[in-house]
Amino acid sequence: MKSNLVEREQQVICAISTPPGYGGISVIRVSGADSEQVVRKIAPFLPQEVKSHSVYYGFIQSTELNPSTVKSIDEVLVLYFEEGRSFTGEKVFEIHGHGNPVLSDQILQELVKSGARIADRGEFTYRAFLNQRIDLVQAESVLDLIQSQSSSSSQMALRQLQGELSKEIEHIENAITRLLAHLEASIDFSTENLEIISQKQTLDQLQHIQKLLAQRVSEYQKGKLIREGLVVSLAGRPNVGKSSLLNMMVEQNKAIVTAIPGTTRDLIESTTVYNGQKIVFVDTAGVRTDSVDIVEKIGIEKSMESHKSADYVFFIFDLSTGITPQDEEILSGLKPENLYLLGNKSDLVSEADLESTQKLLQQSNFFKRNQLDSHWISSRLAFISTLDKKCREKLFDMIMELAFSTQKEDRAILTHARHFEKLSEALSKIESVQKMVVAKLGAEFLSQELKDSLICVQEVLGKHYDDQIVDKIFKEFCLGK
Amino acid sequence: MADLSSDSYQVIVVGAGHAGVEACLSSARLGVKTLLITTNLDRIAYMSCNPSIGGLAKGHMVREIDILGGEMGLAADETCIQYKRLNSSKGPAVRGTRVQSDKDKYSAFMTEKVLNQKNLSVIQGEVKRLVLEGSACRGVVLQDGSIIHSNTVVITTGTFMNGVMHIGLEQSPGGRVGDQATVGLSDQLRDFGFTVQRLKTGTPARLLNSSIDWSKTVPQYGDTEFFPFSLRTETFPKLKQIACFLSRTTEQTHDIIRKNLDKSPMFCGVIEGVGPRYCPSIEDKITRFADKESHQTFLEPEGLDSDLIYLQGISTSLPADVQYEFLRTIPGLENVKIVRPGYAVEYDFVEPTQIYHRLETRTISNLFLAGQINGTSGYEEAAAQGFVAGINAAHKVLNRDEFILDRDQAYIGVLIDDLVTKGTKEPYRMFTSRAEHRLVLREDNTLDRLFDISLNLKLSGSALEEKMIKLKDERQNLLSYLRSERIFPNEQTQNKILEMKSAPLLKPATYEEFLRRPEINYTDFVKKFEIPAVADPQIFEPVEIEIKYSGYIKRQLEIIDQQKRLERMNIPESTNYSDIKGLSSEERDKLSRVKPRTLGQAQRISGVNPSAIQSLMIFLKGRKKLKDLPSDNSEDRSSHGQSVETR
Ligand SMILES: Cc1cc2nc3c(=O)[nH]c(=O)nc-3n(C[C@H](O)[C@H](O)[C@H](O)COP(=O)(O)OP(=O)(O)OC[C@H]3O[C@@H](n4cnc5c(N)ncnc54)[C@H](O)[C@@H]3O)c2cc1C
Ligand SMILES: Nc1nc2c(ncn2[C@@H]2O[C@H](COP(=O)(O)OP(=O)(O)OP(=O)(O)O)[C@@H](O)[C@H]2O)c(=O)[nH]1
Ligand SMILES: [Mg+2]
Repeated sequence: MKSNLVEREQQVICAISTPPGYGGISVIRVSGADSEQVVRKIAPFLPQEVKSHSVYYGFIQSTELNPSTVKSIDEVLVLYFEEGRSFTGEKVFEIHGHGNPVLSDQILQELVKSGARIADRGEFTYRAFLNQRIDLVQAESVLDLIQSQSSSSSQMALRQLQGELSKEIEHIENAITRLLAHLEASIDFSTENLEIISQKQTLDQLQHIQKLLAQRVSEYQKGKLIREGLVVSLAGRPNVGKSSLLNMMVEQNKAIVTAIPGTTRDLIESTTVYNGQKIVFVDTAGVRTDSVDIVEKIGIEKSMESHKSADYVFFIFDLSTGITPQDEEILSGLKPENLYLLGNKSDLVSEADLESTQKLLQQSNFFKRNQLDSHWISSRLAFISTLDKKCREKLFDMIMELAFSTQKEDRAILTHARHFEKLSEALSKIESVQKMVVAKLGAEFLSQELKDSLICVQEVLGKHYDDQIVDKIFKEFCLGK
Repeated sequence: MADLSSDSYQVIVVGAGHAGVEACLSSARLGVKTLLITTNLDRIAYMSCNPSIGGLAKGHMVREIDILGGEMGLAADETCIQYKRLNSSKGPAVRGTRVQSDKDKYSAFMTEKVLNQKNLSVIQGEVKRLVLEGSACRGVVLQDGSIIHSNTVVITTGTFMNGVMHIGLEQSPGGRVGDQATVGLSDQLRDFGFTVQRLKTGTPARLLNSSIDWSKTVPQYGDTEFFPFSLRTETFPKLKQIACFLSRTTEQTHDIIRKNLDKSPMFCGVIEGVGPRYCPSIEDKITRFADKESHQTFLEPEGLDSDLIYLQGISTSLPADVQYEFLRTIPGLENVKIVRPGYAVEYDFVEPTQIYHRLETRTISNLFLAGQINGTSGYEEAAAQGFVAGINAAHKVLNRDEFILDRDQAYIGVLIDDLVTKGTKEPYRMFTSRAEHRLVLREDNTLDRLFDISLNLKLSGSALEEKMIKLKDERQNLLSYLRSERIFPNEQTQNKILEMKSAPLLKPATYEEFLRRPEINYTDFVKKFEIPAVADPQIFEPVEIEIKYSGYIKRQLEIIDQQKRLERMNIPESTNYSDIKGLSSEERDKLSRVKPRTLGQAQRISGVNPSAIQSLMIFLKGRKKLKDLPSDNSEDRSSHGQSVETR
């Protein structure tokens, strides 16, 4: 909050400190005198006493209220640096986790729930400077960088908030502002015979605001990907190697593999975790448009449903037979947005065959109809062989790249985590106002807390609190001698 | 009266409005030879608009002025003809005192004070220009060309500078009805490079008492329990207490006004000055709140012997004949006679970000500005500034430290800090919501907040000082008593507690602890338990409030404490903001214009972000550090060499 710089300086701050994007590892830095209490809440594996410059291994836990639902979030290394011997000069913890932005986001949220807040830009440097860990020249060069970046990042914050979400948060902002205007008018213009809302109405409005905020907060908390994992559905003709691929990806013999077409009749789900991200593969019955077998027919219908609801669809075809009319027919039922084309059994064909297959694909009806180009195919086509285990890694990276391409910049995650932090804070202030109303405290007490809550919401919107209440009072009420 | 034998003074105050009166009194009382020059000696501390003093936040300032040794509170008490404590049923921090004063008696009281004040001379005259020596002010030039020298000058010319009055589409020069506009001063300031702009305000018609049918109005009485503004006031109230009367506008009123909007200078764009939103004209109210069928109005007598009735809520600048027409549609006013029609006045004001907290201008030294000239509106706002400016003008002469009140000490501090930090686009009026530390800036604890400051200032005089010390001791004693005495959970006690509709006691509690219960109040408590404790609200009120809301108050005090750290970090006036890394160009502009004294003030400038404050802090600390700290090289930095600062 703007009014409280000094208090801010004493708070525990956290942020991702590795370069942006999806990478091998991500480092979350936590700094502040009380950082140990905060980190302990989510890293129960830390020993009684931590030693500076030591590394600890374990699982980050979510801080659910209900112990039975406590779950592990990520497998991490935690580094500890004592006061005076860290980057900022304060007690610092570094959490090295998998470079998965969704997990980083969740760890940040857990840190916020445990009492940290998301650092402002340049705040680590600022603290390092205050504690004489860096000199003026270094500090200023960082400041310069920050200033030059800040315009692009505020655009980013806005882009993230576009559409429905920002409308909803503005709605919350308005509701709080209005309530605040009523409270303030009831104080400063009590002689004016204004139509000020009753206590019952105040409570109703607070409840409305509380509900909206709680909804937003819980949505931030449970990203869909974390909750359910990424779902990948495997599509293709019989016998192209779908089941083989599933077994390779989950490193288990989950599905029966035979040389007989039509082996798989029902959906087979299997889950694996890659770089901390849960991924669910769904093997399906190979689609034969000319099938007469009733069991197989039902299986095929189920396959189509699975493709529709999946996050990604792997379309597998057999390189040794090339693209067949049946392949084309299956393709025509799929959408390009979340589709990968995997040419399997590359061990059976030559380099030249691969090239001609790619050309053939580009001339297919599927391409023409969806107006796809060579750019699309270069990121979506892969030649694999289920006999070659190296393909596994390649495919996973391909999934992760696409899954997180919308969050390429880690600033986006930080913004996301900051929004979570601010909205949670706003929510808790609203809840305390509710209690104050019930306890019949005067408007001046409610107003203080409500204003703090408004400031939080406005920070999410990238606005600054500045006398808007006075403006609102004059808009809402007819006053004056 | 005036001692013109010597032509030199230490402080000259220009204007005898509410600002000017406090300014010349505080300066003279500090032992500095002072001259008050005003255009009309018959209108000293004259109330241009409504005949009342105080109200929310304004009443707070009147009490502050009083404890510090100013005059307004005493004058308001002496001339009070109706007393009200606003929000008495609401929270403790937002109770405010408002009195209606006998307008002529108020002016007479102040005139008497001014004329009999030691070290103070008073003359009638119009100041045309300042005597400047380079960028230092050395005195004033009157309309007859005579020059009076002085070390410092305080200008408090109110709505008079290039004042234009509007009644309908007719305009005439004037500061207010019956007073000429003054021309020259603001033009000289503008020529010198000051930003001088226009504001507007308005006032309703004054009606003839005997022409009103009072039976059609509803009388409104004042309170019967009194808390005078001034600690010096012995008997209160002194004058007969009277009622105000309530009436309302009708559909017809609104129709007539709507039909005649083309004759309102506001709506025809004739007035360019910005008016106050909290004080809209009736034309404004009817257009902006079109669905409101009626607006209330209070008919307030301007004094015990006065024939004039002030019509609160119906400020207008429509032509006089239209005013007649619509007023007669208001119940009780069917046959009303207007003594003076309502009007609007437009005037020059000096953008207040051009002055220091001590109210001296940045560009002309020895020149102080106070009151409506700084963009405020209201008697209390004017008096508060005049009081501070008078002290600082005198202190400058006496080579004493500047006198500045902080935002957490007084509403006066909030007022001046807002003005010099944010400037204003409309006439600035004080609201309690402008004070971020509202819970500690209460009317009841004015003495506790300003006790030390007042003793240091030495303006209050020995009689008031004694009273202050006594009251403060009494409060302290009461608190100690409530902390040391206990009630015990025996049957008798529990019964009493039950009768007070509170939960039984589980273990012994001090009186203080027991009073924390929201449903228990001091008066009931001491009565029920037959405790021989003080019954004077002046003593127990602040004590009770601080016990009851101690959690909230403590939290606010903590915030204040933290804020103080920033307030103590001075920014040198010579700071060149283009040297500071990490500021946006908007932030550079604003900081260069306002030139904040401290980091705390910088933070309050709108559009200056927290990151800019960090940059400033680094800049300020860095300047120190470069001088006295060896460069720091640490082993850990290299171990963090890989990580990238992405924040
Ligand atoms: C029409 C009108 C409507 C108003 N309406 C409201 C309202 O609705 N609400 C509200 O809060 N306030 C209102 N006010 C404002 C209120 O009257 C002022 O805020 C307050 O009086 C300002 O005090 P001041 O000391 O700054 O100036 P003033 O009280 O205006 O006093 C200025 C003094 O300076 C003297 N003077 C001016 N120029 C010179 C000169 N060159 N040389 C010597 N003497 C000079 C004048 O004679 C006068 O004594 C209104 C004022 C007017 C005129
Ligand atoms: N040479 C070679 N053979 C493969 C490869 N992948 C799968 N096969 C073989 O292809 C045959 C079919 O494999 P499955 O995985 O059962 O094929 P499917 O797509 O699940 O077939 P249905 O369940 O019938 O739809 C098996 O004999 C596999 O051993 C590969 O990469 N190279
Ligand atoms: Mg199969």
